[in-house]
Amino acid sequence: MSDVLQSEVVEQIGRVRAPRPDHVPLDRVRDIDMYALKGIDEGFHEAWKRVQQPGVPAMIWTPFTGGHWIATNGETVREIYADPERFSSQVIFLPKEAGEKYEMVPTRMDPPEHTPYRKTLDKGLNPAQMRKVEDKVRAVAAELIEALAGRGECDYSAEYAKVFPVRVFMALADLPMDDVPRLNQFASQMTRPDGETPEEMAASLDAANRGFFEYCDPIIRTRTGGSGDDIITLMVNTEINGQPITHDKALGLISLLLLAGLDTVVNFLSFIMIYLAQHPEVTVELRSDPLKLMRSAEEMFRRFPVVSDARMVAKDLSFKGVQLKRGDMILLPTALHGLDETLNPEPWKLDLDRRGMSHSTFGGGPHRCAGMHLARMETIISLEEWLKRIPEFSLRADAKPTYFSGIVAAVENVPLVWPVKA
Amino acid sequence: MTQITVTTRAGVRHDIDAKVGWSLMDCIRGAGLDELLALCGGNCSCATCHVYIAEDYLSRLAPISVEEDELLDSSEHRTSKSRLSCQIKVEDKLAGIDLQIAPED
Repeated sequence: MSDVLQSEVVEQIGRVRAPRPDHVPLDRVRDIDMYALKGIDEGFHEAWKRVQQPGVPAMIWTPFTGGHWIATNGETVREIYADPERFSSQVIFLPKEAGEKYEMVPTRMDPPEHTPYRKTLDKGLNPAQMRKVEDKVRAVAAELIEALAGRGECDYSAEYAKVFPVRVFMALADLPMDDVPRLNQFASQMTRPDGETPEEMAASLDAANRGFFEYCDPIIRTRTGGSGDDIITLMVNTEINGQPITHDKALGLISLLLLAGLDTVVNFLSFIMIYLAQHPEVTVELRSDPLKLMRSAEEMFRRFPVVSDARMVAKDLSFKGVQLKRGDMILLPTALHGLDETLNPEPWKLDLDRRGMSHSTFGGGPHRCAGMHLARMETIISLEEWLKRIPEFSLRADAKPTYFSGIVAAVENVPLVWPVKA
Repeated sequence: MTQITVTTRAGVRHDIDAKVGWSLMDCIRGAGLDELLALCGGNCSCATCHVYIAEDYLSRLAPISVEEDELLDSSEHRTSKSRLSCQIKVEDKLAGIDLQIAPED
């Protein structure tokens, strides 16, 4: 951004507003700050859903976070994810200034460049690989919950959701748990970067991205040519188009693996438990039928999406009644797909008998989340092991969960209580 | 409504009703054949609705998508007859289709 423009916009108090470009019609402008949603105190999904009022256009534009479009319904979110020719992954994080600092691989590549890197990721994360590690994952869950069960209370977010997926991931990657606080700090600065201006946020993200790279650099060097069976060794020793993966690309790939493994399921699990604590009848249903519990994960993915990333318009085009210019950014709040009642009737209800749930919780198109099989396994195992030991639980009466919005939503302060047999 | 024949892992054949427009997976699950886990409910995300389709019906099906192909690749039991039943819509031209539930991975 030029210095002149910057001095114009910084005059605003708090979050900075970008000037409206000429091709954005005035009637499409809404004040929506993806990092500070209105009504976030009531809940993250509730806050996004405020945007999806009857009659809202499919595409709206906000002056916050550098100025960007927002897709406001499920069909539009799905269509944009599915079409990399019109909607490129060249930049996927907002503000765009921060997204341009993001160096993870292969999230910013479009096909066909993207394809061999994606295959490398899949090699470590496909369902066959997940079946091999299931017992390990279950043991981690069982140990954690066993330690909590006798206490009759816990902060689910701090004591389980923030611990379990991270332990699993560090075990799969063969990395020491001591490194977790440092990596968590990087991850949160990637998905909810500090700063009031796009430039400040870009600096936060850039520092975190460099932090990941510095962390991964010696690990990749040590494991290249190694024979371990951890997912890092597996991935750094694969070929890209017949050649060994370059060190730079390996840095991006392994950093992405850490970022995605540390910040997503963590938050998703807490949303599930807040709901179940308030809907004991659903918990009873889950306990009644092991198969129903296993199948429930998909409905939970639909009901509790946590990611809001973006696509960049690849060429000037008209779309949903507006003109888009090459380089325009479009935010895709996946919450507005899973909770869209035109695609999922009674969207707030976690309906274990729902058929044909429609969602973009894992994105879509060529970049659909490579970790979705791990996410599903972690969700099912967490529920199974929890309900086995803590069949009934509720939110503590004074509970006030704290919600944060961003590229990945977060929730903290989830005090659960349950009866303990003497 | 049309009819399909599903053979379970134990070799038991079931003639079940299939609703045109539903997926084969939905019909099999709907008939209570729960050994077809179909965990993701039809989103082409899990590969637990893997079936073998009788030879003469294979060519009548819509081609395999990239996503389906990759998921099938993760199964140890993939054969030339393999499909994910959630990706096949019941149509009149598939009346009588004969399929077998693939072994669990």
